[in-house]
Amino acid sequence: MLAPLTRAGRLGEGVVVPLVSVALALGSVAAVLAIIGADPTRVFQSMFGAAAGDLRGLATTVVKAMPRLLAALGIAIAIRANLWNIGAEGQIYVSATAATAVVMMMPDLPLLIVPIVAMAAGVAAGAVWGAIPGLLRAKRGISEVITSLMLVYVAIQLTRYMLEGPWAVPRATFPATEPFEQYARLPIIVPGTLLNAGALVAIAAVVAAWFIVDRTRFGLDLRAAGGNERAAATLGVPVSRVIIGTMALSGAFAGLAGAVEVLGIRGRLIDGFSPGFGFEAIAVALLGRLHPVGMVGAALLFGGLDAGGAGLQTSITGVSSAIVTVAAGLSVLYVLFGQGIVERAAARRRTRAALRDADRGQAADQLDERSGEADPSAGPGSSTPKGSPDAPSRSRMGGPSGAGEVSFIRSELEGSADP
Amino acid sequence: MTIDFFAALLVAAVSLAAPLLITALGELISETAGVLNISIEAMMLVGAFTGVVGASLTGNLWVAFLCAILGGLVVALLQGTASFHFRANQIVTGIVLNILALGATTFLLMSVLGSGVGKAVTLDRVAIPVLSEIPVVGRALFNQNIVAYLAFLLVPLVWWTLDRTAFGLQLRSVGEHPVAAASLGINVLVTRWVALLICGGLGGVGGGLLTLGGLGVFTPNITAGRGFIALAAVVFGRWRPVGTLVAVMLFSVADAFQIRAQALGIAVPYQLLVALPYIVTILALVMFVSKMRPPSALGSN
Repeated sequence: MLAPLTRAGRLGEGVVVPLVSVALALGSVAAVLAIIGADPTRVFQSMFGAAAGDLRGLATTVVKAMPRLLAALGIAIAIRANLWNIGAEGQIYVSATAATAVVMMMPDLPLLIVPIVAMAAGVAAGAVWGAIPGLLRAKRGISEVITSLMLVYVAIQLTRYMLEGPWAVPRATFPATEPFEQYARLPIIVPGTLLNAGALVAIAAVVAAWFIVDRTRFGLDLRAAGGNERAAATLGVPVSRVIIGTMALSGAFAGLAGAVEVLGIRGRLIDGFSPGFGFEAIAVALLGRLHPVGMVGAALLFGGLDAGGAGLQTSITGVSSAIVTVAAGLSVLYVLFGQGIVERAAARRRTRAALRDADRGQAADQLDERSGEADPSAGPGSSTPKGSPDAPSRSRMGGPSGAGEVSFIRSELEGSADP
Repeated sequence: MTIDFFAALLVAAVSLAAPLLITALGELISETAGVLNISIEAMMLVGAFTGVVGASLTGNLWVAFLCAILGGLVVALLQGTASFHFRANQIVTGIVLNILALGATTFLLMSVLGSGVGKAVTLDRVAIPVLSEIPVVGRALFNQNIVAYLAFLLVPLVWWTLDRTAFGLQLRSVGEHPVAAASLGINVLVTRWVALLICGGLGGVGGGLLTLGGLGVFTPNITAGRGFIALAAVVFGRWRPVGTLVAVMLFSVADAFQIRAQALGIAVPYQLLVALPYIVTILALVMFVSKMRPPSALGSN
């Protein structure tokens, strides 16, 4: 959803940095494994075998990537509007619960009517859960960062209530519904594997997310609001409505993730079924640089690690699949550092060029350009963080500050950091 | 709803408030200096983990809290390095560190410590003579562990530091108008680093108190959003120490109520009760947030 990475100079930041970061993250994980006494080569071999060794493994990788990708699409859309939906995990839970409610109520119908209606219900529930922080942000100026996360825990309890209350199965050992009948599930598309029609939904969702953001009026509005809210409002963008709509849309994609997980993969609603898909999805969106291809790649990477890690728990004891979360967190952390390095190098090049030109008496013009170095299509971790200065923040947590002031602070910080 | 219920409620509320309060005061200092520190959740979580590890390895609670502080400081170092020196967005950095902390503590708990990490030593309650005998409130306020007392004493200390000292003025000026502060010769970067490191240390202690003041065990994601509740307490408390205390007490009473209500078997689904502190946090922000003014330069690099 970013501008295509074709322009020279953006390639380094857009592709090389994430790839190097992933390599470093996997290297760090290997180092940790070596320290705790596991043989990293064997672990990675075993993981690779489980994740990509055969058709079954590949299918598992794709299946594990699906919820992460779907939620990441929603998170990326929100980021484009300068909104932080960190509550995708909660939207996943309400969606799965709503989808289950539909399955419970509907009779045996042909033509996949049941899973389709259930999926729609899940999407709607996710949208509502996402719209609440959007509404509070638009109308009351309350940071969506706090409220969307608070709603995660409310959603998890809501799911638990349904599983232990109205849907409780007598003599069950853990809170879960009975497995759904076949007619209520998303059909398997590659026999003998877990790969189900949810994969097709995910592909359609990638296209839909790109289309909405890059090819519709709403997408234009949300990008405008994300770039500079005040300017957007001046140009007639209904900013409040865009914020609420964007958060609802973001929640809808997370909802798709929850519905696909429960209808396609689990085939039942289980307490605590998401091992943090909604949080890892944030890493997927950032590592994928909000770009559709990037996000698909990042989701497959984490899905593969998950599929591989699941094999580990049985084959090599003591190495848990929490390693996926570690790898996800580390890769994005390295991306943040990498971007900083790339940008600093670019700034230094510009300064040198300006100094050279200064000898020719053109210093003033060049230096002026420096404060406007921001690339409007740059991602959230780049030199012009969308949560701050150049896009005056709506949030009460990020108070307004003038752009001039900020470029000063930035050079101040840069100066002290890089004397 | 008897007087006993309220007394028990108050005891639970004060105990629950202490870790949240230390953490929130750390966040308050950080935000006063303009650093929006979302990784407060990670600081708490890592502090809770390293605190338990330190306690079960050494059996010494002082060492345990030192470990908790170090855990929080590691997160602060990463947050500061990424956002100050590599110019990453403060919110993005915080979110990423929260993910990393969740993964790292869970992974280390399961793979390195295994089931071997048993119960750590925990803090004893220290009853203050005479005062702890006061009916109803005595047991709540004057029969806490030593770190909890420190948490509440921190409120006037932070107030005094922010309002009455040169260092406090320096923090506020950096948070309100970094340009002006810099022109007066204040080193913005160093000031923000100091604020962030204080926040990391306090967040670590808050996390440590969560585990060591409680059952002495660490479970995955034991903080469960408490760092974010501390964040909300700072906003709800209007960036003031006493306001933050009031906010923390409000959330803690809600938390204590759900625990006491469950114990009494009140005819409300327990899941709703568990969700109560989170709902109260949102409602508190909805009802009171509109009149607030954060530090002007909050969140900017």
